[in-house]
Amino acid sequence: MREENTTAEADQPLQSEDSRWVRLFDHFKREWQIYAMLLPTLIWFLVFLYKPMYGLQIAFKDYSIFRGVSGSPWIGLEHFQTLFSNDQFLRAIKNTIQISALNLLFGFPAPIILALMFNEVLNATYKRTAQTIVYLPHFISSVIIAGIVITAFSPTAGIINTVLGWFGIDSIYFLTQPEWFRPIFVGTGIWQEAGFGSIVFLAAIAGVNPSLYESAVVDGANRWQMMWKITIPSILPTILIMLIIRIGNIMEVSFELVILLYQPATYETADVVNTWIYRQGLQSGQYDLAAAAGLFNALVAFVLVMTANTLSRRYSRTSLW
Amino acid sequence: MSGVNLKKIVKAYGAVQVVHGIDLNVAEKEFVVLVGPSGCGKSTTLRMIAGLEEITGGDLTIHGKRMNRVAPKDRDVAMVFQNYALYPHLNVADNMAFGLRIRKMPKDQIKTTISDVAEVLGLTEYLERRPADLSGGQRQRVAMGRAIVRHPKVFLFDEPLSNLDAKLRTQMRAEIKRLHNRLGVTSVYVTHDQVEAMTLADRIVVMNNGAIEQIGTPMELFNNPANVFVASFLGSPPMNQVKGTLTETGAKIGDIELKLPYPINGNAGRDVVVGIRPEHVTLAEGPQTTAMPISLDLVEPLGSEALLHARFGEATLVFKAETQGDIEHLSGVTQVHVPGDLVKLFDAETGRALQLGA
Repeated sequence: MREENTTAEADQPLQSEDSRWVRLFDHFKREWQIYAMLLPTLIWFLVFLYKPMYGLQIAFKDYSIFRGVSGSPWIGLEHFQTLFSNDQFLRAIKNTIQISALNLLFGFPAPIILALMFNEVLNATYKRTAQTIVYLPHFISSVIIAGIVITAFSPTAGIINTVLGWFGIDSIYFLTQPEWFRPIFVGTGIWQEAGFGSIVFLAAIAGVNPSLYESAVVDGANRWQMMWKITIPSILPTILIMLIIRIGNIMEVSFELVILLYQPATYETADVVNTWIYRQGLQSGQYDLAAAAGLFNALVAFVLVMTANTLSRRYSRTSLW
Repeated sequence: MSGVNLKKIVKAYGAVQVVHGIDLNVAEKEFVVLVGPSGCGKSTTLRMIAGLEEITGGDLTIHGKRMNRVAPKDRDVAMVFQNYALYPHLNVADNMAFGLRIRKMPKDQIKTTISDVAEVLGLTEYLERRPADLSGGQRQRVAMGRAIVRHPKVFLFDEPLSNLDAKLRTQMRAEIKRLHNRLGVTSVYVTHDQVEAMTLADRIVVMNNGAIEQIGTPMELFNNPANVFVASFLGSPPMNQVKGTLTETGAKIGDIELKLPYPINGNAGRDVVVGIRPEHVTLAEGPQTTAMPISLDLVEPLGSEALLHARFGEATLVFKAETQGDIEHLSGVTQVHVPGDLVKLFDAETGRALQLGA
């Protein structure tokens, strides 16, 4: 009797293993259309994000375009040693972190505040108009945005200097002064993206159960209290998810806008890792060194996003995965 | 003294009027249930009492004070919502304390109040849990606890049990009744479930199409429905309604004549709706002169009793019969007794109850 039981138990995993594959096959057979729809995205990821990973090995090689990726000799961590002994690269890391920190501090809350403000607007026409106006900069090309910023801060005809002139302040050539680059860059980013970024939070606010507000009204809460005690806590999971994503992109400062707005005079505060990689990799032809810098960038982002996700899951039960 | 008084209350959304000038007086400590089908205006009426909907016309007074333009927080009412409306980010204690904190009650007093109410509702061990970690019944109790801690003058319940399963609903219904008996707070309760209305109410208000059809105690409404709508709404299964014509001695339903034990008083020939409660119909055995022939269609066993669906003349009749542990003997039923003194007569045109035998 005992033996029979043991045999039956031993057989069980095999049976369930079989049925699992059968179930999986049935599942694919039944839902193949869904997986077919997923295919283009998977292919895109494979071609543009996974296949290039093959080239990452040049970060550990003395790469020559004539010898190719596989023909170039391995040199270990030499490029990383070069990177960390390069003052310009270290400055780029410092700038990237400082700009990202400012972006996080001012740029991250901006769309949340905007969404909360839109939520309080009762006049539908006014709300729609205001939303359209703040969404618009997102759809303008970075080149045009940079053009607008350069014009606005121009020392001769720019509106900023004109206004300063009204108060008797001398013209400032903002874009050539390192101390002004970060505020202008972060401010431009907020102006361009805060409106569009607010859509996610507006959608989260729209998902809050209206009964919560009604219940709070009966309990005596005013609009301010409802915003703090209901709206913000209710959209907190969305805020945290967006924050995790944002932290994952901390090393990815808007490359285009920096390239368009910076100049050698402002490298001191404006040169970020990506612009440094661009100059070293494409302009100076040091592809292997640039690949090492890019890999470092990606590793830092990976560690940051993992840490943020773990902390968020532990303390707020919200996480990306 | 009046707890809640509605005088000619009207609610309109633009040109569409959804509540048509209703009058209702809820006495202090009374438990009144508004019942009616979806879209009849019962929830809108409740929300007007709460202050969540603006009153288009008429007067609302709570404990003698006109409330039409008073903010919900100043009406001293507490509301229990259909989906509980618990704050998902707060634990049970904080959910219950929400209204008290808004009203700036001292912390130690909040703690004592919550502890007392949690004890009454059996929530003491769940105070640190969040709503997502509670069962439906526990959430419902928290929602009630949040209303109770405020010690309001009026409780408003908006279909609070409709999200619960049948068993839990029965259990919570009894708990609400017990709580009302204990607290004695004026309560207005909205439901579409006639069983809830019958079991909970001191008085029931039956609503239809934005108007009140009848107000009365559960038994008044059950025994003497004012019209066919009320008759069809209360009772499970509802009252059978069969078209017929009055004769000198009774009501003719197709070829069958149902004898009535009271004079028709010159109403012979009048078209009526004959209302027969399922529980009033009894089985007839052997050849009897008062028995009415039926043709059995379906037997639905419910345990101790069964629902029998039968053709009765040209109409369908649903009635109850005892199973005595077996439904075999019911399959051969061919005739029933319909007691003439218990049937209700309604005017076929207006649907209003006729008081011929009264």
